[in-house]
Amino acid sequence: MRHVCRIACLAALIVAATTRPAAAQIDLSGEWAGTFYEDLPHRGGMQLGDYTGLPLNEAGWRKAESWDEAVVATHERQCIPHVVNYALRGPATIRFSKITDPDSGKLIAWQLLGSYGRPRTIWMDGRPHPSDLAPHTWVGFSTGTWDRNTLVVTTTHIKMGWLQRNGAPTSDLTTMEERFVRHGDYLMVATFVNDPIYVSEPFVRTTNFILSLTANANAWGNCAPQQTVDELPNAARGYVPHHLPDDTQHIQEFVTKNGVPADGARGGAATTYPEYMKTLEQLAKNASDPRNLPQQPLPRSDNPRRKEAPLPAPPGEIKVLPVQGNIYLLSGAGANIVMQMGDDGVLLVDSGAKAHAEKVLAAIRQLTDKPIRFIINTHFDLDHIGGNELLGKPGAPTVMVMANEDVLRAASAAKAPVASWPTDTYAGASKDMFANGEAIQLFHHTAHTRGDSLVFFRRSDVVVAGDIYDLTQYPVVDAAQGGTFAGILDALNHIIEITIPKDWQDGGTLVVPAQGRIADESDVVEYRDMLTIIRDRVAAMIMKGMTLEQVQAARPTYEYDGRYGMDTGPWTTKMFVETVYRELRK
Amino acid sequence: MSRRIAGLEARSAIALVMVLGAALSAQRGAPVAPPLTPKAAASIDITGNWVSVVTEDWRWRMLTPKKGDTSSIPVSPEGKKIADAWDPAKADADGCKAYGAAAIMRVPGRLKISWLNDTTLKIETDAGMQARFLYFDISALKLSSERTWQGLSMAEWEKIPQPGGLGVSLQQAPPKTGTLKVVTRNLRAGYLRKNGVPYSEDTVVTEYFDRFSAYGSEWLTVLTNVDDPKYLSQQYLTSTHFKREADASKWSPIPCQP
Repeated sequence: MRHVCRIACLAALIVAATTRPAAAQIDLSGEWAGTFYEDLPHRGGMQLGDYTGLPLNEAGWRKAESWDEAVVATHERQCIPHVVNYALRGPATIRFSKITDPDSGKLIAWQLLGSYGRPRTIWMDGRPHPSDLAPHTWVGFSTGTWDRNTLVVTTTHIKMGWLQRNGAPTSDLTTMEERFVRHGDYLMVATFVNDPIYVSEPFVRTTNFILSLTANANAWGNCAPQQTVDELPNAARGYVPHHLPDDTQHIQEFVTKNGVPADGARGGAATTYPEYMKTLEQLAKNASDPRNLPQQPLPRSDNPRRKEAPLPAPPGEIKVLPVQGNIYLLSGAGANIVMQMGDDGVLLVDSGAKAHAEKVLAAIRQLTDKPIRFIINTHFDLDHIGGNELLGKPGAPTVMVMANEDVLRAASAAKAPVASWPTDTYAGASKDMFANGEAIQLFHHTAHTRGDSLVFFRRSDVVVAGDIYDLTQYPVVDAAQGGTFAGILDALNHIIEITIPKDWQDGGTLVVPAQGRIADESDVVEYRDMLTIIRDRVAAMIMKGMTLEQVQAARPTYEYDGRYGMDTGPWTTKMFVETVYRELRK
Repeated sequence: MSRRIAGLEARSAIALVMVLGAALSAQRGAPVAPPLTPKAAASIDITGNWVSVVTEDWRWRMLTPKKGDTSSIPVSPEGKKIADAWDPAKADADGCKAYGAAAIMRVPGRLKISWLNDTTLKIETDAGMQARFLYFDISALKLSSERTWQGLSMAEWEKIPQPGGLGVSLQQAPPKTGTLKVVTRNLRAGYLRKNGVPYSEDTVVTEYFDRFSAYGSEWLTVLTNVDDPKYLSQQYLTSTHFKREADASKWSPIPCQP
C-alpha cells in the first residue's frame, strides 16, 4: 500500500511540476505604511463645511450641514471605528495577512488590519455574500478575486457611515468596490463607493501605501460599552446634537477663511469635473452671487426617493435567517415574524398576514417538527396577527396567544375573526414569560398603537420591535389606534437603553424591525436620531408660525426621504410630516 | 510482487525526470518568436479620452491655493522658501510652470491617449495643451540635453511574475505584461501646484498607469512618485484617477502660455 502511495505521489509531482495555477496572485502580505500626500488636512481632522470634491447630492450635503460634531460624544457613538469605506484614509499603517486552508495551504482569505478600522476579512474562496436580511457591520462583508495583477474586492452589508469625518454621509445601502494593485514597494488602492441615497455618482478615491519592514499595524484593542464615559453628563434622554437648517454659523468659517464659494464647498458631482473651474472663476468675480454664500434655500432638486419600499423578500416568498441564539427571522409573510424554538416547542412573535400562513407553517416545519406553543403579537395589525388563526389553531397542546390587552380590544373592535384574537393579555408596563430555557420580557408602549409590545429575548439577546422600528419607511403612527409619534421616539430610546453592543458599537443585542433586515443598536440610534432631528425641525418651524402647508413645502424630512420616504401607498412622507406637525401643535 | 512495485517506482521517477527535462529543454530550445512590439504586447489599453475627476486635493487643484500653502507636499526648507516667495500678482507670467510632467496629471482636465507608432504612446492634455511622449524604445531617438516641461519619458510594461509548479521555478511561465511604468527625466524646473510650490530640474518622475472597471465606468489611475532631491524632503507620492469618456466632445484646449 505504501508503494502504491509513493507511485501516486510521484505521478502527482509530475502533474504539479508541469502545470501552472490559472491566475496570478500577487503577494500583498506585510505591513504597509500610509502616505499622506493627498488631502492631508482632511485626514487629521476635518473642518465643518468642507465637502469639496465629494459627489454629494443635495440630500447628502444637507445632511452633512446638519451634522454637529458633539454627536460623537454620545455614549452610543464613542466606540464607533472608521467605517470600511473610509478606513483606509485613516492616518495609520495597515497589515495584509494571508489566511490559508490548514490542509491544502491554499489562500482562502486576506485579513486587512489597521488604519482605525476594524480587522476585515476579504474572502477569496468564492463564498456568496450574506442575505439581504443579514445585519450590517462597520467592515461589511468583502469578497475578492484576481484580475491580472489586481485584487478586486466587493463589499456589501456596510453600516450607515461617512465619506469624510465631518458629517458627509453614506447610507446603509452603500456598496464598495476596491482595486488593490502592488507596484514593487508601493500599494495603491482605488476605492469606489456607491450610495444610491447620498451621492449622485460613485465616489472614487485612491490611497497609497509603502511597504514597511519596521511598522506594526495597530488593532486598537477593544472598545466595549464599559469603556465609554459621560462626555455629555447633563444631556437629556434621547438628546441628539444637530444643526437646524437655518443655522449656518458652523459652516461659514470654512467658506470665508478659505475663499471657497459655498457652492463648491458643498461638493456635488458637477464640482468634481474640470469644467467647474469656469464656474469658480465666475463666482470669484461676483462676490454677491448667492452661490458664494452658505445660505440654505428651500430644497430645490428632486431627491432619489423610492416609489415603494424595497422589501427584502417578495410577499409570499418566505426567507428564513438565523438571528442568534434560538432565534430565527421569517421574512416575506407581511411583517417580519420571529421564531424561537427549543424543547418546549415553537414560539412566534407575530404571525404575518393570513394569506401567507400556510407558507409560514411550511417554513417552520423545515426547521422543526415541534408544535407551536406560543404566539406573541406586538400589536394589532393584520400583517402581524393575520396568521394567528391558522398557526394558533386550537389543538393539543393549546397555543397561547399573548399580547397587550389593547390588542384584544382592537381585534374585537375591528371584528377580526375570534380565532385570531389573543388568548392571554397583560395590562401593566411589562410582562414576563419563560420558554425554551429563556427569559422573555414584554414591554408595553403606546407608540405605533396604544397596545405595542417590545419583546426582549434575554438569553438569545434579541429585541423584536414590531412597528416601532421599520427599516423600510418612516414609522407609521396609527393615531386611530391611539399611536403617537412621541411614543415611538420614547420606545426607540427604550430599545437603545436595553440593547448593548458587543464592542466597537457592533453586534451584541440584535434588533428585528417590523420590516427589513436585522439591526443592532447603532442602526436604531441612526433611526432615533433621524426622528429626533425631524421633530426638532418641525417644532422650530411651528415656533416660527409656519402653517402645515409651509412645513410640508420646506420638506423637513428631505435628507431622509431617499431612504425612508414614499410618495404613494398607505403611509406617505406627507402623511408622516402631517402627523408630526399636528402632534407637536397640541 | 515487491520487485514489480519497485520497478514501477523507478519507471515513475524516470518519467518525472524526462518530463521535467523535456519541459526545461523546451524552454531553452524552442524556436524564438520575434518579440512583440510594445503596442502589441500591451495587456491593458489606456488609449482614448479620459477626464480627471477631482475628488482629492480639490481645494489645491480646482483653485489656485494661497501663497505659502504647501499642504500635503513634503517640501524641503529650500522648497518652502521658494513657495513662500511666489508672487500671486505675477502668476500670469508663470506660463507653463505648473503643467510640467511632475504636475500635469494633477491639473484638472482631459487626456487624449493614443499610439504615435508601435513604440511610442502620446498623452495630450487640454489643460495647458501639453503633449507627453512615452518612449518604449529610446534607441532611435536623437537625444538632446535640452530640458522641457514634459522631459524625456521612458516607458515599459511592468512584468507580472507567473507562478511555477510546486511553488518552484521548474516550469516558470514567462512573465505577463501588466501595468505601464514610465520614468521621466530631463525636466525643466516647474511648479507642483499653481501657487509656486517648486520642483527642480533634478526631479525624476516615476509613474504607473492602471486601468479598472467599476460600477459601469472605466477608470485610469496614475500612481506618481516625484523624487526631487532639492525641493522635496522625501518622495511625493500621489495617485490620480480619470474616467473614460466616449469621445472628445468635451475636449477644451486652453494654452498655458499667457
